[in-house]
Amino acid sequence: MAEVMDGTKKRGETEPPNWILQHPVMKELEVGDSTQLHAAFLVFMDLTEVRQWTKVTYAESPELQLVLLEAKEKDGGPVQTVLPLPVHRSLSHRSIRHLLDRGFPLLLCAVASDSTLVYQRMTDGLVTPEPPVGLFHDAGRRQKQRRRKQ
Amino acid sequence: MEDQNQESSDPVVALSLCDSTPLLWRAQDLRTVRSQSVVGALLGSLPRAPRQNLKLGRPLLLLPEEERLLRERHAALWVMTERTRSRIQAAEMSFLRREQQRSFEEQSVFALEDRKSALQRAMTSSQSGKNEALQRRLLDLDQNFTFPRSALAIQLSTTRAGLNYCPEARAFLQLDWPIRDQGNAQFDTRYLVFRDLWGRGFFLTSAGKFGGDFLVYPGDPLRFHAHFIAICLSLDEPVSLLDILAAARLGCNVKKTVLLCSPAPNGPVHYTSVQWSGMV
Repeated sequence: MAEVMDGTKKRGETEPPNWILQHPVMKELEVGDSTQLHAAFLVFMDLTEVRQWTKVTYAESPELQLVLLEAKEKDGGPVQTVLPLPVHRSLSHRSIRHLLDRGFPLLLCAVASDSTLVYQRMTDGLVTPEPPVGLFHDAGRRQKQRRRKQ
Repeated sequence: MEDQNQESSDPVVALSLCDSTPLLWRAQDLRTVRSQSVVGALLGSLPRAPRQNLKLGRPLLLLPEEERLLRERHAALWVMTERTRSRIQAAEMSFLRREQQRSFEEQSVFALEDRKSALQRAMTSSQSGKNEALQRRLLDLDQNFTFPRSALAIQLSTTRAGLNYCPEARAFLQLDWPIRDQGNAQFDTRYLVFRDLWGRGFFLTSAGKFGGDFLVYPGDPLRFHAHFIAICLSLDEPVSLLDILAAARLGCNVKKTVLLCSPAPNGPVHYTSVQWSGMV
């Protein structure tokens, strides 16, 4: 809170420092890309404050020069790797493979400029989609037609 | 080993090229490739229903990857190129000339006999004075009779055996530009992915409708919905995150998994499934 106040005080004199970067968690990280760091912080806040995930910690990938998050959805659940990225970044398949090699399920979180988030699950190999649930709509439609005729 | 046996026992399909577009025409060839889980796309008009495009008939258009796969598996795949076509035409021409020569020789023998019997009939019916002259003419005929070529009766065969698919239609369908470019790296990537997925028993069709490279079916497309939308890319190619999001969103809506496919250099193909996490 004090840091935020500092930021507002300085506004008149020079460029204010990014308050996110002043956050105690962020101060520990040393990754050069500040836009990715910003995205990581938003995802961190989303996971901890909105979704109430547990054990959310920062991790780094020195090979890819990226900030990662490791988190559990519930206590006792599996650890998941979360890759926060601003939407305008590009990504190579090799780096995705590299992150999958960490051995945890991977969530890609794209952060738009208005801080909306979307999580996409990435898995090694071919994952068959789940079959559609419930009755087909077609059957219902036919019944309705029959009723109308009656 | 088993694979090799299969290759040799499978019938070879006749692939004809319309300019650079690979087409299959024979019904048995269509059945053969379908049994090898190669789908292709029908694009011919049905003679009984020419004014619709929901149900189509022969020819079957092959994807460039399907064509390359068939070429690789069948060494003796017959490709109807311009050169083979002209060679076939030359063979047909020489056959026709030989037939005509044989017919000419046969007909000249018959014509000579005809002439002789006519003279003999004249000899028996006429008086003895004229007979000597006729006798001389008969001898003369034996020595220098020539059957004029203009009198040759020409035989036209109305039924033929072998492949002759409407050359006039082929000329009509000739395209001005080559559609496919098989030499580039992008095509190789797609082909390696295609071959690998096909080898796993999947049926593949093109996925232009879904913004991907291939639609991957677990069985015959007539019986199954596709499970995957395959997107082929090389390992190091940078992809915009927006593109991945767009593909994943669409895949989620149509209940298919988006599959990022990258062949490793001289190794297996890497597959990464992308699905929406369900976190609203």
